[in-house]
Amino acid sequence: MTRTSLVDLSIRRPKLVLLAAAIVTLLFATQLARMRTDTNPKHMLPETSDVRVWNDQVDRTFALYEDTIVVGVENDAGVLNRETLGRIARVTDEIVGLEGVAARDVNAFPTITNVTAEAGTLKVGPLLPAAPKSDAEVEELRRALFGNPLFIDRIISKDGRTTAIYVPLEKGANGAEVAGRIRAILATEKSPERYYIAGDPVARDTFGAEMFKLMAIFSPIAGMIMFAAIQFMFRSLLLSVAMMAVAMVAIAWSMGLLIAAGFPVHIMSSMAPVFLMAIATDSIHIFNEFYFRYRERGDKLAAIRETMAAVSRPVRYTALATAAGFAVLLFMNIVPVKVFGALVAFGTVVLRLLSFSFIPAVLTFVRDDRLAVAAEDAASDRTSRMLGQVGAVGAAHPRMVAAATLVLVAGALWGTSQIHVNNNLVAWFKPSSEIRVADAAMNRALGGTSLGYLVIQSGADDFMKQPEAVRWIEGLQRRLEDSPLVGKTFSVADYVKRINRVLHDDDAKHDTVPDAKDTIGQYLFLFSMSAKPSDLDNVVDPGFRKANLWVQLKTWDADAMRQVIAAAEDYHRTHPLPVTIKPAGIAYFNLVWNDEVLGDMVRGFTIALLVVFAILVFNFRSVKWALVGCVPLLFTILLIYGVVGFAGKDFDMPLSVLSTLSLGMAVDFAIHFVSRFRQRLAETGTGDIAATLQWTGARPGKGIVRNAVLFAAAFSVMLFAPLTPYVAVGAFIVAMMTLSALFTLLLLPALVMLGRRWLIKGG
Amino acid sequence: MKRWIALLAALLPLQVLALSGEEVMKKSQAAFLYPGKDFKARVLMKLVGRDGQERVRELTMLRKNAGAPGGEQKYFMYFFQPADVKDMTFMTYKYPAKDDDRWLFVPALNMVKRIAAQDKRSSFVGSDFTYEDVSGRDLEDDSHAIEREEKLGTRDCYVVKSTPKVGDAEFGHKLTWVDKANFLPLKEEQYDKRGAKYKLFTADEVADVKGTPTVIRRTMKNLQSGHRTEVTYLKSDYDLGIEDSLFTERFLRQPPRKWID
Repeated sequence: MTRTSLVDLSIRRPKLVLLAAAIVTLLFATQLARMRTDTNPKHMLPETSDVRVWNDQVDRTFALYEDTIVVGVENDAGVLNRETLGRIARVTDEIVGLEGVAARDVNAFPTITNVTAEAGTLKVGPLLPAAPKSDAEVEELRRALFGNPLFIDRIISKDGRTTAIYVPLEKGANGAEVAGRIRAILATEKSPERYYIAGDPVARDTFGAEMFKLMAIFSPIAGMIMFAAIQFMFRSLLLSVAMMAVAMVAIAWSMGLLIAAGFPVHIMSSMAPVFLMAIATDSIHIFNEFYFRYRERGDKLAAIRETMAAVSRPVRYTALATAAGFAVLLFMNIVPVKVFGALVAFGTVVLRLLSFSFIPAVLTFVRDDRLAVAAEDAASDRTSRMLGQVGAVGAAHPRMVAAATLVLVAGALWGTSQIHVNNNLVAWFKPSSEIRVADAAMNRALGGTSLGYLVIQSGADDFMKQPEAVRWIEGLQRRLEDSPLVGKTFSVADYVKRINRVLHDDDAKHDTVPDAKDTIGQYLFLFSMSAKPSDLDNVVDPGFRKANLWVQLKTWDADAMRQVIAAAEDYHRTHPLPVTIKPAGIAYFNLVWNDEVLGDMVRGFTIALLVVFAILVFNFRSVKWALVGCVPLLFTILLIYGVVGFAGKDFDMPLSVLSTLSLGMAVDFAIHFVSRFRQRLAETGTGDIAATLQWTGARPGKGIVRNAVLFAAAFSVMLFAPLTPYVAVGAFIVAMMTLSALFTLLLLPALVMLGRRWLIKGG
Repeated sequence: MKRWIALLAALLPLQVLALSGEEVMKKSQAAFLYPGKDFKARVLMKLVGRDGQERVRELTMLRKNAGAPGGEQKYFMYFFQPADVKDMTFMTYKYPAKDDDRWLFVPALNMVKRIAAQDKRSSFVGSDFTYEDVSGRDLEDDSHAIEREEKLGTRDCYVVKSTPKVGDAEFGHKLTWVDKANFLPLKEEQYDKRGAKYKLFTADEVADVKGTPTVIRRTMKNLQSGHRTEVTYLKSDYDLGIEDSLFTERFLRQPPRKWID
């Protein structure tokens, strides 16, 4: 009842309603200026999640830095020459002085710890304290680099053409700022070298910029496309403006609320404006019906009232289904997904509120003469007739349509079985992006940019000084390095072997782990007295109970870390030792998150399906009709999964979230179709099912097609977005809208015909 | 006007008598690092992590001055703990304005190795003290200025700011609270280049040893990691007549019992 009175109020006092909407919108819009973005992938999981707590603990135990920027330096003629080395020395020196850089732990030629023996003297100190002045010094450096396995693939590539500067950041430092200053430093060096800047902080920064691009450029373009499409469909500027205004109001309210509530904008919520714009197109059903009614009645206000009465039920339920689809995201573990769900659910409710106030108010302003022309045009065009015929095909050849669908579904099922769940954060960038180019170059030349740790824990102090333990770690490293995905591993064993060799006059025969615990203890004591504190801290805890094995991976695929863990567990089985192995690091985080996505997807999808089904049952007051209504939606999703599987595209977070949401959005068409079909059947009382199906296809069907076209048009913009998840989202939604409209208009009539005895009393 | 002149007259003699920052630090160095002809102590170090986990280092430290304060010194250390480094010995010849010479005896290899000392800010035996903290920074490396004079607890102190003359990647400056009476440093704050305090030294207990005020308990705390090292000197003693011959490779391998107990 309240809605009807809201409609009445809007028709009687349209100016008041519009003014109120404008004021509230302005209030929310004031919040937009305070927008913050959050692009840290770690924030995908809550701070209290096991993996984040554990990773923080590992960082503390082993004095590790959360963020490191890696600067790659590549020279086709090799980096080991006086000019290049001079530049590296200069650049490193300047980087060390930057604010936010953990100066003491910057690792590059000039600063990395080198353990050597010269004329009976043990030398532990920076590898290249000053730029070499002669070619002989360069040769000496070459020998030092290639004679020390600790350096190869870490700061020098095997071919000598690439080196890296590892720049750890202090806690709370602004990675984007530091990266910017490093770029400025590099820009002053005129040189034949190519420089690459990679690492998590840089990726995040790039990400943030692209997110803003999406919101600031792509969302408005999507809006303009929709505007043009509506204008083309209804030829009334007022209506087009009204539709866009509704979308803008909903966006302003929801984003304003999000920001006012103190949430940062994340990758998911950055897509909210495009989603809301698309969802706003549901009010197309109101316009659609209004034009038909106006043509029949000729009285504007009566037409508005009747339209609202006719479509209010389906529009309310589609809104409910959509909002519920998004609200289901609140049950997920991934924080930004939850926020996004709440955000869009709220926006959907706002949109519906506007459908019953703002839109009727605007309709009162449409000039009658314009209306007559447009209405004539809208109601009697070829599209309607054609759509009616499509519905008729389904009704006339139900078996054929159903059989064809079954064939498609069988293929889709096979494709779905091929789906590969994976998240690769770097692959979220386009191959030509700076970050992706840098990552690829570094992975080609050096040990790998994705870093994982294996923390080996024992229960006894000084355990890691035992030869068995150190040898076991060394063996584990060799096992891990068997995998082509593992570029480099690094542990306390490497230091022990290095010191053993150096103390034995650099004799390669002694590049081994010594036999006595005391020897190892003394070596490490000696090392701790001469190296940087972090050198040893990074690989063992102060009590020598735990060791930290560094694993550099050549890919950001979550699966790579899974393989590392499996290989380690397998090694542990065949080489028993009273320790536990626990993975950590960003590579592990990505793996956990990846699995979380899959778990969330399954849970979310199930909940969404049940919720949508319940809404259908409630709406149709019939379990049978609800079952039929679910079919187009299920087939749509199945078909898309099939294609994803066939194409070999990774099933990642945006896709899994979409699957859940899409249930709430894709079911809209079936709701409209079934509601109006049954309404019409009851109204006419003829019992002519085939004719009613044809009418439904022609009239509400036109609304469905218009809705689908608008929706798809808005999202097609995202196909050109700079980040691949946005592209995937765009493609997914375009496909979903097209398919679910097609299934609704073609398959539903077929199903209704086939099941008419079962569905309709006396049918 | 008269009052101003009187005030100026009252201050003038004080100004003439007052010490410069350089002089305060020189006296402090003599009182803290150079007292006696030689010195011996059993040193107990407790390394305490942020989580409260403790590890222990125990050693005997012997020091002998070659000449006046600020001149050459020799250090000899014998380790008792941790257990796996027992019998390890470490010797340093410290020169003013020149890199130290260091030798280490590795019992497991029965071998004495010379160690090239490049980084004075390496950790001393894994503690929060660096070599520089233990045996002192060259006074000439920094310029020293008295910032202010204030009470620290009950003690009147000079607060001296020392700034490196040559730029340093990490170390910005330090503030030292020097006791006006005995010139021992009671507190030292080390700042990084960006002006953030990152290390804090405190002299926790000063005792009189053979008439010489000696810091027998001290703590160095790393404010960034939360890690700290507490050092206690047991059996401190001065002027024992330690021979020069002790500081040789021979005794590094087989340190005489009487000196290490």
